[in-house]
Amino acid sequence: MIQRLLPFLTLIALFVGLAIASPHFLTSTNLSSVVRQTAVINIMALGMTLIIISGGIDLSVGAILAMGGLLGAMAMERGASIPVGISIGIVTGMFWGLVNGFLTTRLKINPFIVTLGTLGIVRGLTLIISNGLPVHQLPADFSFLGEGTLFGVPFVLWILLVAAAAVHVMLEHTRLGRYAFAIGSNPDAAFYAGIPVAFHITSVYAIGGMLTGLAGMVEASRLMTGQPTAGQGYELQAIAAVVIGGGSLRGGEGSVIGTLVGAFIMGLLANGSDLLGISPYLQQAIIGGVIILAVTVDELRKRRLPA
Amino acid sequence: MLLELKSVRKRFGGVVALRNGNLSVRAGEVHLLMGENGAGKSTMMKIVAGMQARDGGEMLWQGQPVNFRSPAEAAANGIAMVHQESLLAPHLSVAENIFLGREERRPFGFVNRRKMQEAAARLIERHGFPLQADWQVGRLSPAGKQLVEICRAIQHGSSLLIFDEPTSSLSDAETAEVFKIVRTLRQRGTGVIYITHRLDELREVGDRVTVLRDGETVHTSDIAELTTDRLIQYMVGREVNAIYRREPLPPGDELLRLEGLSRRPLLQDINLQIRAGEIVGLAGLIGAGRTELCRLIFGLDEADSGQIFVSGRPVRIRSPRDAVREGIALVPEDRQKTGLATGLPLGVNITLASLPAVSRFGFILGRQEREVIARQMERLRVKAESPKQLAGRLSGGNQQKIVIAKWLARGAKVFLFDEPTRGIDVGAKVEVFEVMDRLARSGAGILMVSSELPELLQVADRILVMRQGRIVAELPGRTTQEEIMSYAALAGSVNASQESVQ
Repeated sequence: MIQRLLPFLTLIALFVGLAIASPHFLTSTNLSSVVRQTAVINIMALGMTLIIISGGIDLSVGAILAMGGLLGAMAMERGASIPVGISIGIVTGMFWGLVNGFLTTRLKINPFIVTLGTLGIVRGLTLIISNGLPVHQLPADFSFLGEGTLFGVPFVLWILLVAAAAVHVMLEHTRLGRYAFAIGSNPDAAFYAGIPVAFHITSVYAIGGMLTGLAGMVEASRLMTGQPTAGQGYELQAIAAVVIGGGSLRGGEGSVIGTLVGAFIMGLLANGSDLLGISPYLQQAIIGGVIILAVTVDELRKRRLPA
Repeated sequence: MLLELKSVRKRFGGVVALRNGNLSVRAGEVHLLMGENGAGKSTMMKIVAGMQARDGGEMLWQGQPVNFRSPAEAAANGIAMVHQESLLAPHLSVAENIFLGREERRPFGFVNRRKMQEAAARLIERHGFPLQADWQVGRLSPAGKQLVEICRAIQHGSSLLIFDEPTSSLSDAETAEVFKIVRTLRQRGTGVIYITHRLDELREVGDRVTVLRDGETVHTSDIAELTTDRLIQYMVGREVNAIYRREPLPPGDELLRLEGLSRRPLLQDINLQIRAGEIVGLAGLIGAGRTELCRLIFGLDEADSGQIFVSGRPVRIRSPRDAVREGIALVPEDRQKTGLATGLPLGVNITLASLPAVSRFGFILGRQEREVIARQMERLRVKAESPKQLAGRLSGGNQQKIVIAKWLARGAKVFLFDEPTRGIDVGAKVEVFEVMDRLARSGAGILMVSSELPELLQVADRILVMRQGRIVAELPGRTTQEEIMSYAALAGSVNASQESVQ
């Protein structure tokens, strides 16, 4: 039990440690900035949690984030309202999620390969559409999404909490979530039980895509730019958050709480390094080490139990 | 004494797998190791073979205290193990697998493929196995893989060989060949430890027997001194009626009918009828088409001609989903692979096929789901700590019950049982039969595939015999093993079993 709580305890220890080590840590400015920096990865990681639980993986989310943000921004630049712009970002993400799901289930290609391919395709198309140039002419109110405050808390935190609650309920209390666990745990047994496996895998990728599209709009709002090169490497951070939080790349394991904790551990590590003046190069190495450490601890916990 | 274990202990976290393991094996004897699933047999053997470290106790190898830290170290000392589940490299050939880790070398680390190929071919030839040295192992049936495992173990010329249920996936002819190998090894002075569940095997190959129960050695003696009933008593720790016999009941309405069903060349012109309350046995050698028939009825394969009727209605079944919708359930031979999500709680497994019935607008109704789970667990007498316990942590018998519970919750009417007692303890076998009997009594129709003829005779109301993709006989439930075999194993059946291996 203690080991299951380990990521959570690590997060608390990190928080307390930083509060002691740096006088700048426990300021509302700093904490808000941690939340804002982590929110984008966090929202993506929620979708990644679903996908990884169902036994899949999505390497294309960074590219999808960029295209979602770009298309949403371009629409607003051409006069679309803010809600329409945000919807366009989300729908773009859903579309590519459906493509990933379709290729994985109908052509039965390994999702690692499929999404490695779509990563390239989506990134390439995004650069073509934008000519490689960012979109700057956005309505001023759009910045509220990423930088605004509601009830004294960054607005993105509310978005994150609502999205997390929705995904949590989906995982624990709906058929889709249950089937995701079953398919990830044993796809053959799920198929033999008469579950429409292909449909549910596709749905999971589509939901992951929508959340990524939303994250893309948050990112665009924070930068007030539709940036075709946004989100590079985010896929790995999202996967890392899921894995640190106890998700298994073999499928069938993972939770929303775990993923949130995983993402915040990485967020605090980055923030703490900044505050303590640790070089950003070393930061990367520290986070890499933490990923391996987290998974090792989790594996040891599982191995203690008989097969 | 070749090998001695004294008070060997092993625990995994909070679970004690072995608390007091004692065993002594002489050179030139076949020592049977018996016990229910979870009794600690495999753990003890993995310790001997260097795959796991013991927590305490002594191990003497040819009189010397030893402590093997890897399978390679055990192998270097002359101990080899034939594993129950295949530990082979599926993409390599039969020959490459037999010599895996001990390749014939040429200078500069190159592998002498031709020499290995020839040596493997000679080995296979000598034992008359239906294998070819250049076949790819991944394409072999479970039986074929088991034969490769055996080849690999005997090729090393070890002085102690451990067989972990070697015949559980083999046909009778192949089993006989394994027995022959075991006897040859004994003559050569090799010690053999033989783990088995099959009581009929023990007198055929065994000299002495050690029985484990709950991680403890409870009995060792010559086999000749022990009656079968006593042996079972040692294994389960209580009296068990080894001879179960079901009382058939008058059959009700027709549930399933197959007319001229074919999937050439595996299945040809299959006609059969199953009525409510009936248990129909399906006998035949491996490769006769029994599993293929189950797959066809369950929609895993498609027929190229013929018609399936459910309750008199013609139906089209093109996927398990269609079959499940028509009330057909498959209790597969390989529970862990296709029957259960072993990493998920048993409760989740029970409602896996019936979630629409306990959910609204896609949301699962927690209370109703818990009720369904509780009802099925009680009905099938599932022994578990709670519905949250992982399905993979249950015993074989209880896992089988979870698979059945899943289909009962779905309201299935036609049950296809493919080798329902494989890997299940003697005590739990009778319980599985009782569950099948209760299913039939509550109006289900059952098709039971089994390679264990005594079991078919105990349970089935009538027995269909398959050979080379056809049903060649229908016999009454009170027939004899000889009668069944006379139909199942006519001339040509040897070819059939050879086809099945690839």
